[in-house]
Amino acid sequence: MATTAAPQSSAEARPLARKKFQPAEVAFEWALRLSIALALGALVWLFVSVLTEGASSLSWDFLTSKASSSAARAGFKNALYGSLVLMMITVAVAVPLGFAAATYLEKFAPMSKDELRVIAMRRQRALEHRRGHGLSGIRLLLARIGVAASRVWATIGPPINRIVEVNISNLAAVPSIIYGLLGLALFVSIMGVSKSLLAGGLTLAILVLPIIIIASREAIRAVPSSIEQGAMALGATKWQAVRSQVLPAALPGMLTGTILATSRAIGETAPLIVVGGAAYSTKVPSLNPLQAGDQPLLAMPLQIFDWVERPQETLWGPLAAAGILVLIGTLVVMNLIAIVLRNRFSRSW
Amino acid sequence: MSTATPDAPAGLRTRRIRPLEQGTLLILGSAAALSVLITIGIVFTLVEEGWGFWSKASPVDFLTGRDWFPVSDEFGVLPLLSGSVMIALLAGIFAVPVGLGSAIYLSEYASPRARGLIKPVLELLAGMPTIVLGFFALDTINPVLQRLGLVDKNQIYSYLAAGLVVGLLIVPFIASLSEDALRAVPRSMREGAYGLGATRRVVATKIIVPAALSGIMASIVLALSRAVGETMAVTLAAGTQPNLTWNPFDQGQTITSVIVAVSKGEASRGTTIYQSIFAIGLVLFVVTLVINIIAVQIVRRFRTVYN
Repeated sequence: MATTAAPQSSAEARPLARKKFQPAEVAFEWALRLSIALALGALVWLFVSVLTEGASSLSWDFLTSKASSSAARAGFKNALYGSLVLMMITVAVAVPLGFAAATYLEKFAPMSKDELRVIAMRRQRALEHRRGHGLSGIRLLLARIGVAASRVWATIGPPINRIVEVNISNLAAVPSIIYGLLGLALFVSIMGVSKSLLAGGLTLAILVLPIIIIASREAIRAVPSSIEQGAMALGATKWQAVRSQVLPAALPGMLTGTILATSRAIGETAPLIVVGGAAYSTKVPSLNPLQAGDQPLLAMPLQIFDWVERPQETLWGPLAAAGILVLIGTLVVMNLIAIVLRNRFSRSW
Repeated sequence: MSTATPDAPAGLRTRRIRPLEQGTLLILGSAAALSVLITIGIVFTLVEEGWGFWSKASPVDFLTGRDWFPVSDEFGVLPLLSGSVMIALLAGIFAVPVGLGSAIYLSEYASPRARGLIKPVLELLAGMPTIVLGFFALDTINPVLQRLGLVDKNQIYSYLAAGLVVGLLIVPFIASLSEDALRAVPRSMREGAYGLGATRRVVATKIIVPAALSGIMASIVLALSRAVGETMAVTLAAGTQPNLTWNPFDQGQTITSVIVAVSKGEASRGTTIYQSIFAIGLVLFVVTLVINIIAVQIVRRFRTVYN
């Protein structure tokens, strides 16, 4: 034992000598293997069945033809354009909000009551110091408001931050169809946005926001605090240290999380149906996200759903399978980009 | 920064007031606070948009009614609720042993190489859009069930087919969360058991699994909450008519698939049918919330902390 190296992982911490053949041991190990095989086998079965059905319909024409009521001519172009615009809106809305919220929650929310009180006291002192040097009028008023606000925050801040924390983890577990109902009520019924790509994109943005926040927080947490402390020791304020040292170091991880969250949004079907109905349109949506307010709500999963639901299954089934292949292909490419990004830019500190 | 003493020389301690920085922090904080607004928005819209529904159907009739026929103003949620529970049960029967077995294999038996190969594939399964699984259930699994004689020849939908693919969907969820819990059990416990002559199976089932039980239970409960909220696979493969039954070979609808079926038909605002999807949406939201709270409580109450 003394001469052998320490086992690398728990799996290698095995008994020293093989004992006699024990059926229960062998049976248990094979039962475990079987469970893995069941899960992976089902996935393989899924791929094979979709491939055999859809491969013959998958062609360049399929990708570039518009939707049509004739199965022979129907294509995926509308759906592809729709999904692209949806992603643009989702990313444009959810990423700034998600990154901002993650930065706040990871770097500024954990401050304790005492820390916040010290900050408030320091602001008070800075204010008095500057008043002695002729600070007056509106700027004095603003500074006073700032000091008062940081005092109040020292008391109410920590409990509020805790509520936000709990809330975000709960949001991540809300079924996606509930977000669809929120989008339908909020954007379509109350705000009067038409059942369009805009309404769908905003709904997906709300849906992925908690996922982006959680993933970005992990990326920020992975940057060691010594980086930030080093910057602050050189005189940077906390925000300066976070902005110019921590965030750049965390960015690859945050982007990886964003890509994974976006790839989830691409496959979401239920919230889009709830927001927009199973709209069928032969109009190809404009790729300009600013016009999304009056473009029909089309997306890859919606088009697939439409095809699957049609009665003549022998006609439309292969099209649906081909659409699924394109959808899965898109997801695999996005996941590969995320993995490459993670491996290329990940640093061990 | 927390060590600043109040009576330090003023010249050293005072800093410039940075209004821009305070403003930036305010913006960052507002973004975080927005998440609370989303929760409030969900609860508000579910209650407000569904408000008119409760004057058409009394809450008692709603919760105890055995029929869901919006056309004849019969709004009993029981058949939908039983459908959702049925899907979660069928999914659980498939996914709990498979997911837990996979987790134990990955954590206790697999070589690092096998782990490196299996984990990404499980992640791929976890990221599979549910409409794909619905298509698989409708197009492949149910025909197989028909050929096996389990499902009637003329019945293209079944709870069983939908439940199986939902189970497939939550397997990676249970596997990865349970594996995290198993790996969090300290090495010293394994080594202690091996030192006493325990075999691998005994270590896994008598030492590691009991030690990680709170995490495993939580992963199962969370996975079931997902199964209840799962939509597309159920919409495509479970059925098109509400059906109060506990026969897994029959067909029926769930809360989620009714919401989709109604939304497809362009229900306009103010109609009872429009209000009804918000009412059952509220039921779904409450059910999943309760399940999630149970999961958190399990972790909190039964967690053993190892140093």
